[in-house]
Amino acid sequence: MPTITIRRSDLAGLLKPSGRPSALTDETLHGLLPLVKGELKEAGGDGDELKIELNDSNRPDWWCAEGIARQLRLHRAPAAGQPLRLRRRGRLAQIRVERPVMAIRPFLGACIARNLPIDAALLEQIIQTQEKLAEIFGQKRRSLSIGYYRLDPLQFPLTYTAVKPTGAVFVPLGMEQPLTLEAILDEHPKGREYGHLLKGATRLPYFKDAAGQPLSFPPIVNSREVGEVRVGDRNLLIEVTGTDLRLVIMLVNLLAQNAADRGAMIEPVEVIYPNATPYGRRVVMPRDHSTPTVLKRDALFAVLGERLRDGEAVRALKQAGHRVAGAAGGWKVTPPPYRGDVMHPVDLIEDVAMMRGYGSLAPELPTSFTVGGVADRTRVEDHVRQWMIGLGFEEVLTNVLGARGDVLDKMGVEEPVVELENALSLQFAALRQWLLPSLLRVEAASAQAFYPHRIFEVGEVATVIEVPGGSPRAFTASGTRRSRTDLHLAALLASPAAAFSELHSALERFMLGAGATYRLTPASHPSFLDGRAGKISIGQQDAGWIGELHPAVLERWKITMPCVGWELALSRWPQAAAPGARLRDGRGPTSPS
Amino acid sequence: MSESIGQIISGLHPLERKVLAVFAQQPAAWDHELLQRTGLDESRLAMALGWLQSKGVIGVEEERGSRLVSLTELGRNYARVEIPERRIMKELTAGRPILIQELRERLGLEQLEVSTAVGNLKQHGIARVGQGGALELVSGELPPQVVGLTELISRLNQAAAPVADEIIDVEDRHILYDYIDKHWKTRGIFKFYEKVTKRHKLTALGVDLVARLPEEASGDVIGQLTPEMLKDGTWKGKAFRKYHIELNPPRIAMGSAHPYRQFLHDVQIKLISMGFEEMQGPLVESEFWNMDALYMPQFHPARDIHDVYFPKDLAPADDIDPALLERVAVTHERGGASGSAGWRYTFDRARARQPILRSQGTAVSARTLAGKPRVPGKYFSIARCFRYDQVDATHAPDFFQIEGVVLDRATTFRALLGLLKLFAAELAKADEIKFLPAYFPFTEPSVELHARHPRLGWIELGGAGLFRPEVTMPMGVEVPVIAWGLGLDRMAMVAMGLHDIRDLFSTDLEFLRTLRPPSALSSEPGT
Repeated sequence: MPTITIRRSDLAGLLKPSGRPSALTDETLHGLLPLVKGELKEAGGDGDELKIELNDSNRPDWWCAEGIARQLRLHRAPAAGQPLRLRRRGRLAQIRVERPVMAIRPFLGACIARNLPIDAALLEQIIQTQEKLAEIFGQKRRSLSIGYYRLDPLQFPLTYTAVKPTGAVFVPLGMEQPLTLEAILDEHPKGREYGHLLKGATRLPYFKDAAGQPLSFPPIVNSREVGEVRVGDRNLLIEVTGTDLRLVIMLVNLLAQNAADRGAMIEPVEVIYPNATPYGRRVVMPRDHSTPTVLKRDALFAVLGERLRDGEAVRALKQAGHRVAGAAGGWKVTPPPYRGDVMHPVDLIEDVAMMRGYGSLAPELPTSFTVGGVADRTRVEDHVRQWMIGLGFEEVLTNVLGARGDVLDKMGVEEPVVELENALSLQFAALRQWLLPSLLRVEAASAQAFYPHRIFEVGEVATVIEVPGGSPRAFTASGTRRSRTDLHLAALLASPAAAFSELHSALERFMLGAGATYRLTPASHPSFLDGRAGKISIGQQDAGWIGELHPAVLERWKITMPCVGWELALSRWPQAAAPGARLRDGRGPTSPS
Repeated sequence: MSESIGQIISGLHPLERKVLAVFAQQPAAWDHELLQRTGLDESRLAMALGWLQSKGVIGVEEERGSRLVSLTELGRNYARVEIPERRIMKELTAGRPILIQELRERLGLEQLEVSTAVGNLKQHGIARVGQGGALELVSGELPPQVVGLTELISRLNQAAAPVADEIIDVEDRHILYDYIDKHWKTRGIFKFYEKVTKRHKLTALGVDLVARLPEEASGDVIGQLTPEMLKDGTWKGKAFRKYHIELNPPRIAMGSAHPYRQFLHDVQIKLISMGFEEMQGPLVESEFWNMDALYMPQFHPARDIHDVYFPKDLAPADDIDPALLERVAVTHERGGASGSAGWRYTFDRARARQPILRSQGTAVSARTLAGKPRVPGKYFSIARCFRYDQVDATHAPDFFQIEGVVLDRATTFRALLGLLKLFAAELAKADEIKFLPAYFPFTEPSVELHARHPRLGWIELGGAGLFRPEVTMPMGVEVPVIAWGLGLDRMAMVAMGLHDIRDLFSTDLEFLRTLRPPSALSSEPGT
C-alpha cells in the first residue's frame, strides 16, 4: 500500500475547470478520497503538501496525482474521461528487441510524450510515480521497472539487447565516472540494491540508440546523459521493461495517460520482437488491450442486495472509467486501457457500489438463524482458567514466538522446536514447545512484585512431531518434521519458601476438578532438581511434569527466588478433562459438528 | 498485659528477633536502615516487619515515595549494542557517507531511532546531511550528554535491581530527565516505578516488649484465642489484647484472570450470543491455507520473505486435498470454473505446501470453507498470528486476530453492512459508524468499518467483504460468503490505559496486578 506525497495545488489544477486549491479543503478531501480507496494521512507544513495512502494494491493507476484527479473528474462527469491524444508523425518510432535479452528480461514497452514542460514539481511527481509503481506494483523492479529519457538527443531505432557484463560502459545517474555494467552492479547503490534480480545472468540487459548512445541498464539504472530528465525538458521517451508483456503494456498505457492528462501529445512507439508475442511480433504502444467483461443485471442485484435502474448502473460503471454497451441480461463492460484489475464481474460490482457510495446502501440485518458455540478446546480452556483462578493463581498471557535459548538452553533441555528461517532477531526466532519458560520469563521480570507469586498460563504451544519415513516428495520444504498445535497448562510458584507440596496440592485439587485420575512417578528432568521432580501421567499416557526448578536453571534466568512448577499437555489427555468437553489436538479446524 | 507480651515473645520468629534487636537500639528505623543493620534481604525483612506489625509491636510512622528507575527492553538492548548515536558514529568513522535508509538497514534500527539519533548528531554538529542525502561525519567527538547517557545506561544495566532515583547523582539525573523530555515519548529506554519506603516505630506495646525481650513472662491478656481456650473455657474473665486495626494490612495477591485474555473471552461470548460458532486452526500453517486458498497470488507483496515467517526444516504440508489444490491452482492461473480471468501466471503447486507461521486469521476461515460448512452458518475464530515486523510499540511478536465468515444463500453486500453495524453496536457500543471502500485480495466488494470513539475520534474497527468467487468456488461453496475481521485491540488498550501493544503480553507481574481490566466490550474506559 503506497503512501504518496502530492501538492494540493497540483491536484486542483488537474481537476480543472473548477480546480482552485482553496476548494480542496482537508474536509473535502476526506470525503473524496474513498473514491480511490485513499486516506489523507497528513496535510503538511505549507498547507500545500498532502500525504495520501492508497489502499488498493491492485489499482496502481490511482497511485499518483494524475490518477486521483482522473477518478475524481470521472466521478463528477463520467463523460469527461480524457481520451489519449495520439499523434502519428509519419513513420512510427521503433525499438528492436534482440534475442539475447529474451531469456533475461524479455519485454520492453515505450511511448513518446511531447510538449510536456517539465518543472521541478512535475519532475518530483514523475520520479515518485515511477518509484511506487516499480517498487510496489513491480515487486521491487522484479516484474516491472520504468525509465524516462530526454527524447531530443535520441536516434531511432533504439535497441534493447543483452551484452557481456563488460560489454557496455556509461556514466550512470548520480555518478561522475563511466562504469561497465559489471561495475555498476558492484559500485552503484542501485546496482547493489537490485543486482540480485540479474543473478546468474551471463549477459545483462542494455538499452541503446541507433548511434550507439547508451540509454540505460534496465532494470538497474539510466545513463546520466539521456536518462536524466531535467527541468526545462519538454519531450520524453517513456519506457517500461518487465517479465509480463500484458503488464508492461498496461503500465505504458497508464504512464501515457498520466502525461496526456497534463496536456502532453502522445506518440506511439512500435516494439519489434524477435519472435511472436501474444500481441504479435510488432507491438505498438500505447495499446488498448482491455477485453470486455459481461456484467449480468441479476448478478449485480444479487451481490448488492439492491435493484438499480439501468441508467444508474451504467452511470456508475462510466464513473469508474469503463466503456459500457448493452448485452443480453446486462452490459458488456470494457475497462480503460490503464486498468488490469478486472478479473471477474464482481470487480465491476464493487466499482458500481463505490461510485454510488457505500453510504447509499442501507444496511440490512442478517435474518438466518444459527446456533453459536465455542470449540471444544476453548471449553476446556475456560474450565481450566476458572479452576486455576479459584486455586489462587494469577493468569499471565505471553507470546508464542520467543527465543530458542529461553525454551531450550536456559531450561537445560534439548529437543526439536519450530525455528524460523527468516527470523528478524534471535529474541523472536522460535515457537515455544512448552509454557514453563514463559512463566519463568515472567518471574525473571517480576522480582519487584511482592511475593509469593502463583502464576499460570493456559495456551497454545507448537509441538514438533517426526514424519514417519521422512519427507514423501521433494517439495520446497524438505524437512522430516511437522508441527502440531497443542494446548498446555503451566503453573509456577515462586516464593522464599516455595514448597513442592504446595504446588502438588494444587495439582491434586486441579485433577480432582478435571475428573482425572493421575499418577506421579519420580523421574529425572534437566529443568528440575533430581529427587524433587516427577512425571505426571493419566492412564497410560504421559501428560506432563512437576518439579522444583533446578538452581542452575534459575541462575540462567537470573532468578533469585526458589520456584516450583508444573506443566500439563491438555490436548494429549486421553479422556475428558471437563464434563462434556473432549480434549483434542489443535491441528485442523474444529469440524462443525 | 505482661502475659500477652510474654506470649508474643515466646512466639517470636528468629527473623522478628533480628529486627527487634535493631529497635532495642533505636525506637524508629527506615527500611533501608533495617536492611543494612539486620543483614536480611528485602523479602525476609518485609515478612518479619509484616508479622511484627500484625502483632501490633511496630507501626508505620512515616512513608516516603521514591522513584526507581531501570532500563526497558530497548534500554537493555542499548546496553548490549550501544546507543544508536554511537553506532552511527562508528559507521561514519569507518569511511564514506551513508544514506540514512542504508544506515537503518545496516544497523537494524527503527525509523524513529535513526531519526532521533541523527537529529541529535546533527544538533551537536557531529554529523551533517551532505550531497544526495547521505550522512557524513563532521567531528569525531561525542557530546557529553551522549557520553553521559551511555554511561548511565551501562550503570543501570549492571544494577541487579531498579535504582532509586535519589541514588543517581545530580548530573545523571539531569541527563535522565533531559532525555525523557526530549525523546522516545512512546518507547522509552527508561522505566520508572514508584516505591514506598517506610519508617517503622515501636508501638507502646512494642516498647514494653523490647524492654522485656529477655524475660519469659506470662499474664492475663490474651493475644491469640486458641481452640483449647474455647474448649476449657479459660478465656473467661481474661482481657483480649486490642489490635491496631488502623495499620495497613500486609498485601496479598488474588487469583485473577488476565485482563486482555478476559476481554477476548468476553468477545467470544458476545459472538456466540450472535449465533457464531468457533473454529480453530494450527499456528504453523501452509502457504496454501494462509494465502493460496484465499486467492492471494503467489507474487503478492504480502507473501514476501519480508512479510511472513517461514519455519526451518519442516516437511511440506500433507493436509491439502490434491483435487482442491488443483482447483485452486487453475483458478489462480486462468480463473478455473469461477468465471474469472485469473491472475494469469504460473502457479507453483509445490510452494502451496510450504509451511509458514499463520499470518492472518482468514487462514482458519479458509479451512472451514473447505470443510463442508453449514449453510446458513456463522463462524468465528480468535487466532494467534505472526508477521515479519520489528517488534515495537505497535507490533507484538504475535497477536490475536478476530475473524469469521457468514454463509447464507441470500447474503448480500447490504447484509454485510448490516452485520458490521451490529458488530459496532454490540462489540464497541458505537452507533456512529461509516463504511469506506477497502482492498483485500480475497474479497470483492470490500469495506472498512470505522466508528467514532469517545476519546480517539474515528477509528477503524474492522474490515470485511464478500469472498471472491475465486475463493469459494474451488472449495465447493456455492453460496455467497461474508468474510469479516475485527480489530478490537486498540479499543481494549485504551480501556486498559495502555499505549504499547507489547503490554498486552506483559511479563511484569507488578504491572499486571495494577492493570485495569477493560470493562467488558465498551468503548468507555474501564471503571
